[in-house]
Amino acid sequence: MTVAAPTRPGVTFSRVLAAEWTKLLSVRSTLWTVVGTILAAASLAFALGMFVRPDSGQSGSSLIVSGYLLAQLGTLVLGVMVGTGEYSVGTFRVTFTAVPRRLPVLLAQALITAVVALATAVGALLASFLVTVGQRGAGGLTVDLTDGATVRVLVDYVCFLVGVAVVGLGIGALLRRPTAALVTGVLVLVVFDHLLAVNPGRVTDTVRALLPGSGARLTMDDATLTALDATTLGPQLGPWGGGVVLGLWAVGLLIAAGYRLRRHDLA
Amino acid sequence: MSAPAASSATQVPARGRTAGRGATFARVVASEWTKLTSLRSSFLLAAATVAVSWALTYVSANASSVDPGFDPLSSLTSGLVLSPLGLMILGVLVGTGEFSTGTFRSTFTAVPRRLPVLAAQVVVTAAFALVVALLAVGAAVLGIVPAAGSREINLDLTGDGTPLVLAGMTLYLAGMALFGLAVGALLRHSARAVVTAVTVTLVLPIVLMLASDLSTDPMAPAESGPPPAEAVVNTIVTLLPSGAGSLMTTPDISGIEGAPDLGPWGGGAVLGAWILVPLAGAAVRLRARDVT
Amino acid sequence: MIEVESLTKRYGTVRAVDELSFTAHSGAVTGFLGPNGAGKSTTMRVVVGLERPTSGTATVDGRRYADLAAPLHAVGVMLDARSVHPGRTAFRHLLAQARTHGISRKRVDEVIGMTGLESVAGRRAGTFSLGMGQRLGIAGALLGDPGTLILDEPVNGLDPDGVLWVRRLVRELADEGRTVLLSSHLMHELALCADRVVIIGKGRLLADAPVQEIIDRSTGAASLEDAYLQLTADSVQYRGRSADDSATTPTAGSTR
Repeated sequence: MTVAAPTRPGVTFSRVLAAEWTKLLSVRSTLWTVVGTILAAASLAFALGMFVRPDSGQSGSSLIVSGYLLAQLGTLVLGVMVGTGEYSVGTFRVTFTAVPRRLPVLLAQALITAVVALATAVGALLASFLVTVGQRGAGGLTVDLTDGATVRVLVDYVCFLVGVAVVGLGIGALLRRPTAALVTGVLVLVVFDHLLAVNPGRVTDTVRALLPGSGARLTMDDATLTALDATTLGPQLGPWGGGVVLGLWAVGLLIAAGYRLRRHDLA
Repeated sequence: MSAPAASSATQVPARGRTAGRGATFARVVASEWTKLTSLRSSFLLAAATVAVSWALTYVSANASSVDPGFDPLSSLTSGLVLSPLGLMILGVLVGTGEFSTGTFRSTFTAVPRRLPVLAAQVVVTAAFALVVALLAVGAAVLGIVPAAGSREINLDLTGDGTPLVLAGMTLYLAGMALFGLAVGALLRHSARAVVTAVTVTLVLPIVLMLASDLSTDPMAPAESGPPPAEAVVNTIVTLLPSGAGSLMTTPDISGIEGAPDLGPWGGGAVLGAWILVPLAGAAVRLRARDVT
Repeated sequence: MIEVESLTKRYGTVRAVDELSFTAHSGAVTGFLGPNGAGKSTTMRVVVGLERPTSGTATVDGRRYADLAAPLHAVGVMLDARSVHPGRTAFRHLLAQARTHGISRKRVDEVIGMTGLESVAGRRAGTFSLGMGQRLGIAGALLGDPGTLILDEPVNGLDPDGVLWVRRLVRELADEGRTVLLSSHLMHELALCADRVVIIGKGRLLADAPVQEIIDRSTGAASLEDAYLQLTADSVQYRGRSADDSATTPTAGSTR
């Protein structure tokens, strides 16, 4: 047996990163999820574009980002897949005997999920932009890329989808079962908010503002946000508050998952 | 096997033959029942369904009990926005359980004709779900009792179409378990099946409604009927399993704006189609393809 | 060298491993034996840091596994041949493992060659038979050219050719001065390839000695299997019965 003399033996974070990258790209479901997310986002934006009326006063950017409603499910699934993948097929034994400190793996997964989600979100944004070109022209909706507010919505759309992916990773790594993690993710991100919206009040509006779905505010233009803040009985979050809430969920879930990973047996 | 003098009986039974005839349908059903009831997740989901049904109904009835024209019976169905989820997941787990855990090998070597297994899963899931649905509906009734008491309203569950509502609720809940089973049996992969079923029943209606809100201008004057986007969305939402199912629980409401009025029976038929079509697909896949 | 000292692992009230001490020396193949549920796999999982001991220690070359800077170069581990994503090819599976330590693609190809998987390296692992999965697991253990190998049931599911290959491989590895700890239920196999055996039952140490010494110590035992059965007679937790037990007494032995 020959020793494959490596330059510097041992586990380094960049190596763990490279390993996780190889893993994510070597299963087909990753590609399907990315393609499916982009298609779903663009299709929804196109479908909504069919109902655009010239006098509606809607902004062009709000039509482009309207696909977020389905795209968020795509990046959620991506995150959950990365977070639960090790456990649902048993590769965690191999992974964590190679990296016994464990936490670098979770961190690497978070980074890689964010990068893939970023690429997915940018793809979804471009696809939505392209498929709605004709509709925006006919409806008189302009997209001015020199306008700060427009750029904010487009950039925040990407930030939102990346945040949702990391939340998905956190839930997945914490619960370790894909089915349970997906159901939890959908409930927390979409369904609870909708249920609470039925009974507006100080308590329900506050809870809604603190759910991760609050991050969807990132995709709304300033007029919509002002209108939302005017009607809520809970905290008024402004354009960035929703993003902060989503970010806190992502970090909190990763910390909880890291705690479980670090403190408990892997059997 | 040459037993030395079979003195006790005139004929020695062949080895392993306990009672002949092999895998009859009743035995397959018994086997599936054992599988369903030996999993902890079945009972957890059942308990969650009943609990959610009670809690949402209780909260909703309490919240609206301050309204002037409060009718506690109108809160009966408010748990249905979430309570079908548990039974649907239960159905998915029955449908995919064989494949996600690899037990299908032993199952289909025991029942090589395969289809009886699927039929037995339908029977078993329907029976289990019906019991859970009855409990969940009972819990919903209990949920409105305190609110009715606070306004000193006598609950009459026998009049005014209420029995129909209760029956519709039960069938809707049980139907969602079968829908889950059908999707699970078709897709064979529990995560995929759960995502699909949850998306179709829960997420799509919400997304479509939010989307139609985005594309409609609330300030626009209501000319004649709802705007086109809303009509399309409402039609789609009505034809989804959850929309069709809720029609079964609202016999006296003639559908939602812009959507075809199907009535409770029509709603039941649409939900039935959502069960039967994937189930037929699953049967074809089971029968025509190798299971590996 | 693997040193296990007064190792105890409790799950709730169950003591899966109970005050277990043994040493697997370098330059030798140590067989690890015991009935189902005796605690072999638990011990191995504790040694490689997947589980934490309730008390006691387990070290490799004097260090806790979790403290190793380059675990794959120190210890090669194969715990469960099914630890592969079914959608990933054998090559990518090994490459992902290799990348955690900056091990080259050349080395990945090398271990694929050593385990005879060249023709299937591009196939998705979900299509593998038990034996091929086993070879893939061994390939993963060899990746880092480690000084210590921990193999749980490595010959399980292998064809006779594969069994012979594993026997020679572990022999060679030990002769190169490496430590090999391998569990198996195949007594004849172990008698052929192990220098020393550690036998445990119900989490406790029953014997730790060279193969010949274990056979000699047992009264009337002609083989390792006889000695093993004597030693573990009181520790077997799951015991099957012959199909005729319900009709005849176990001692009848005249059912043909």
